[in-house]
Amino acid sequence: MVRQIKQKPMNWIERLYIFEAFRGLWTTLKHALRGLLRYETLPTVPYPEIKPEISRTYRAKHRLMLRPDGTPRCVACGMCATACPAHCIFLEAAPAEDGRIEKRVLRFDIDHLVCVFCGLCVEACPVDALRMDTCDTSYVFRKREDFVTPMYQLMSWDPKDYPQDDLQSQMAPGGTKNKQALDAWGLKVN
Amino acid sequence: MMEIIQSKHWVEWLITICKFGFAFVPVIFILLLIPLERRGAGFIQDRQGPNRSYFKIPYFGRIRLFGWVQNACDGLKLFFKENYSPSGVNKFIFSIAPAIPFAIVLISPCVIPWFAPMVFTMGDEVIRISGQTVDTEVGILLLFGLSSLSAFGAVLAGWASKSKYSLLGGLRTSAMTISYEVCLGLSIMGILLLVGSFRIDEIIAWQEANVWGIVAQPVAFFCFLIAMIAETGRAPFDVAEGEPELVAGFHTEYGAMQFGLFYMGEYSHIGINSILVACLFLGGYSVPFVTTETIQSNIGISLAVLCGIFVVAILAFLHLLYRYARWYKKSAASNKQVILREYSLYKILGWAAVVVFAVAGVASALFFHPQFTVIDGQPVYGIGVALGTALIHILVLLVKAIFFCWIWIWVRWTLPRFRYDHVMNLGWKVILNIALVNLVLTALIAKLLGGI
Ligand code: SF4
Ligand code: SF4
Repeated sequence: MVRQIKQKPMNWIERLYIFEAFRGLWTTLKHALRGLLRYETLPTVPYPEIKPEISRTYRAKHRLMLRPDGTPRCVACGMCATACPAHCIFLEAAPAEDGRIEKRVLRFDIDHLVCVFCGLCVEACPVDALRMDTCDTSYVFRKREDFVTPMYQLMSWDPKDYPQDDLQSQMAPGGTKNKQALDAWGLKVN
Repeated sequence: MMEIIQSKHWVEWLITICKFGFAFVPVIFILLLIPLERRGAGFIQDRQGPNRSYFKIPYFGRIRLFGWVQNACDGLKLFFKENYSPSGVNKFIFSIAPAIPFAIVLISPCVIPWFAPMVFTMGDEVIRISGQTVDTEVGILLLFGLSSLSAFGAVLAGWASKSKYSLLGGLRTSAMTISYEVCLGLSIMGILLLVGSFRIDEIIAWQEANVWGIVAQPVAFFCFLIAMIAETGRAPFDVAEGEPELVAGFHTEYGAMQFGLFYMGEYSHIGINSILVACLFLGGYSVPFVTTETIQSNIGISLAVLCGIFVVAILAFLHLLYRYARWYKKSAASNKQVILREYSLYKILGWAAVVVFAVAGVASALFFHPQFTVIDGQPVYGIGVALGTALIHILVLLVKAIFFCWIWIWVRWTLPRFRYDHVMNLGWKVILNIALVNLVLTALIAKLLGGI
């Protein structure tokens, strides 16, 4: 459908420019006075000291979800690595000790210098083992190798930093739902 | 030689020589204007403006002076950069050009009256020291002549750089200076007609006796202001350095401190122009609603009021500081200690200044009623009063000038740049005609009402 936008022709007062200029000056004056007298209400924040609020739905640094006993939930199916357009997920699988699970993951690295934060890995994961809701947007290192985030770092998140209604996160060790989840999960099968 | 020296008393010589210090007022304005511009632009655009650089002092830690240090750092950077010029330029003109606008600015304050003439009696002779450094009949014409000379800097820079962009920028500057000089001159003709003199101190005296120029000649005021903004070559009239078309106009090829000189020349030009507008249309050094005689007969009280104004201003500033500090303490910032430590210095200084000014105000209200001062064994009548009045006058003039400086910045960050032909249209077809009509009407009305 073609939408036609009709532009209102300026009336003669507007065409004189000078009055409109004064209106513009008034607007900027209000902003300037706001900055001067109510400095703390400026929408910008002094960045590294005060972090901006980042929504949970923002695609930030990855994390690996945990089972109630603290092992990664990942079943090493490799779907995320397949889906990744940047080829920056490196994983190695091994036979799981837990009889209920076929494979476990030995190594799970994400190269965050290569990652384009598309979120396709999260979509691809069949067991919801990978998420990008850490709200961690600024991680700065001196060496390139440090940007390759290994598995233990992806797993080292704290359930206390996540909302209570995020049940999947609260089931991890340390979370509020961990005990019930452990009961339901059952004892470790050796 | 000795005759000249002995023709005046040393007190008179001292004051006369001190007046030369006023040549540096526009230069000092740069120090004020650059932070004002950068933070002001930030606030207008809902940003915070540059506020990061700091120097360290013991105990209080990082002192940022509300972003002022940043400008000092930038200046320092420009200062230590390599002077670079493209090959094939005319070296002499290329390096002399940036100095022209800046040098002009040091000369032009000489005709600005900074205070009402000081009159005091020394022994049995009355000594009168006028407010301007150069006491001349042509006054404002000299100032206009000097300030239009600064276009030479841009023109020569554009010509010497051997670059098309620079050349076009220089051409545009010269065209604009010529067109707006006409408007500038014609728009103040009305007020000159009413006053009947070119001397700025007489214009101010007239405004003090009657009404401010902005009331008597509102149309002329607007024409003059617009022409002034155009003459300094700042937005919305900065076609000479319009970056979408001309990279940076006449200073494209300049770097380091040569660029810095252009920059400083522009800012001090704003400074001198705002002082001029304040003189012509806002009563110059005259205090609103109070005559100089009232001030002089109650000099103690007047100084006390001045101190009171300082105290109120500092208290308002402290209020803002305290509120922001309280908010920062509650926020999630990671550098609270550093910032609050820095603010504690400002708080201490602020409260100290409040105490000093309060004490000084009370003291001057109670005790400062100088009948005479004894200098070299002979009584001098009225020198204390004269100096006090001069102080008040200078401060009043500076406050008015700073207000106009803010208008320059405010307009720049509000209005978009005009197209080049629009600038010319506005100059020749609109402002010039308005100024002419205004002049004729003023002459008519003055003739009919005043019979001047
Ligand atoms: S976010 Fe995109 S690029 Fe980054 S690891 Fe996941 S799939 Fe690969
Ligand atoms: S898709 Fe999920 S389960 Fe499969 S390897 Fe990736 S993270 Fe592990």
